[in-house]
Amino acid sequence: MNVLVTGATTPLGRAIIERLLRTPEVGQVLAVGAEHGGPGLPSDSGRFRYERVDLTRPRSVRDLLYGPARAHGIDTVLHGVLHRAARDRGARVHAVNVEATRMLVQSCAQHPQIRRFVLRSGAEVYAIRPDEPNLLDEDHALVFDPAAPQWLRDRVEADLVACAQIGTAAASIAVLRCAEILAEGTGSQLWDYLGSRVCLRPLGFDPMINVLSIPDAVAAIVGALASDARGVFNIPGRDVLPLSRLIALAGRRDVPVPGPLLAPLYRLRTRTVGFEFRYDLNLGRFHLGGILDGTRARATFGYEPRHAIAYPGHAAAA
Amino acid sequence: MSTLIHRPAVELHGFHDEGHGFDVFGLHPPTLRRTLALGGRLCDRYFRTRSYGAESIPLDGPAILVANHGGALPIDAALLLLDVDRATGRIVRPIADRFVPSLPVISTWFARTGAVVGTHVNAGRLLARGELIAIWPEGSAGIAKPARDRYQMRTWQVGHAELALRHRAPVVPVAILGCEESWPVLGRLRRFHRFGIPFLPIPALPLPLPLRHHIYYGAPIALHDGLDRDAADDPAVVARAAARVRLALSALIHDARQARAGRLV
Repeated sequence: MNVLVTGATTPLGRAIIERLLRTPEVGQVLAVGAEHGGPGLPSDSGRFRYERVDLTRPRSVRDLLYGPARAHGIDTVLHGVLHRAARDRGARVHAVNVEATRMLVQSCAQHPQIRRFVLRSGAEVYAIRPDEPNLLDEDHALVFDPAAPQWLRDRVEADLVACAQIGTAAASIAVLRCAEILAEGTGSQLWDYLGSRVCLRPLGFDPMINVLSIPDAVAAIVGALASDARGVFNIPGRDVLPLSRLIALAGRRDVPVPGPLLAPLYRLRTRTVGFEFRYDLNLGRFHLGGILDGTRARATFGYEPRHAIAYPGHAAAA
Repeated sequence: MSTLIHRPAVELHGFHDEGHGFDVFGLHPPTLRRTLALGGRLCDRYFRTRSYGAESIPLDGPAILVANHGGALPIDAALLLLDVDRATGRIVRPIADRFVPSLPVISTWFARTGAVVGTHVNAGRLLARGELIAIWPEGSAGIAKPARDRYQMRTWQVGHAELALRHRAPVVPVAILGCEESWPVLGRLRRFHRFGIPFLPIPALPLPLPLRHHIYYGAPIALHDGLDRDAADDPAVVARAAARVRLALSALIHDARQARAGRLV
């Protein structure tokens, strides 16, 4: 298996590459990022190479897939590039989130050498509503509200762009809808939320939250890359706990506040301090919860979350 | 029918800890224990519940309790939870209406004490894990019935039958007497939909009367006998199975009312 990994310079990308290079079944790893030099990545070697590519340019994508990817015998592609800053919007952000995904998946679908494409999506694509189940399986409704923030709409669109190719492309395509990875540098809304000493939550509500660790995300992704299973797979995390408990484990102060006050308070925080957490993106799960059902991933490629989050001030659970 | 001698519940068996002391739906055994202890003392003194036939409840494996619904608020669910815990030590997972998660405080409290929103995915997961669930097929329509309709089952949803067929879980009909009389309802405010509730019941009294309540458990019904799992996909089969449960529960309610005749206190 020779793997192309986009988003290589992110914490998750680096962890995936490190794991792939330790896997005997993996021959070549071609890492792709937007930065010069591949910060934090190994030096180019016989098994590893970094390419700086702007995935929003069709020519760049084609040159990548029919140039270095072909030369290195790449047969498996992992794509998980999403613009992480929740405050940003516009055409450029849409291009990163959606157009890049579209070009990549469509090109891979027609590529003579690539036989496997895995998209790392997220649980945020699911619609959280009071009349919907606590447990979200892969058939659960997605967010189709046209009034939803671009951050959400882009993620749903990117997810569906890949889903549309499942079953029709020559390559086998899998979409992994991962629980939120609670780690720095991953664009995690909850990480940003827990960055405050005081965490506000809606008065009267304490929903169940599911968070994923980087080791588990890596295990799921590498497992999916090695499999040839097609379809959509939920990737839940090991930690399933109430929001109040999450706040306590992070060593923060939990302050319940009447719901209607939360959005304006967090907007004020964003404007004054510059955090990325947006309450409108999290309103559903901060009231109602929504835990991913990982039955399909477990049955298909044996994914089982094993690594709990190492919360600050607490020993990491095995 | 004999009164089952209440014995202290043992441990909360059947609890699936996700690693932080809660299950995936938010059940928290210490909260449940405290609620059962406090609620038990209140209900013992106020409602003085008697139960009959609790030996019908399977002590392990998936099963569905199907009960009638009544009263201004779902006190019947609380009494059933208490009684089953005392009689068997099993945790009952009451299946709640879909607006419940929108209710501040109540949503959290219900989740911590085992209630789960009524969707097939949720209920199916519970049964697949071998848990005991309680369903009120009348739904919200059963609550706040006018006095003239007491113990008349109104709308009868069939989801419980489909679940029983698909998961090969026995159905235990449960007649709960007392809620309809203890907290009669004057009517419903149908235009009140705050927090997504279908209506606001208007009780005749600010609190329920301290009438004795009775819980009768019928013989388990194996709806899946002679059928394979695919039968759950056949609407006609599901409808017949649901009708069978309704008939059994109606008969149980009738017999229970006869047995209780005149004894409201």
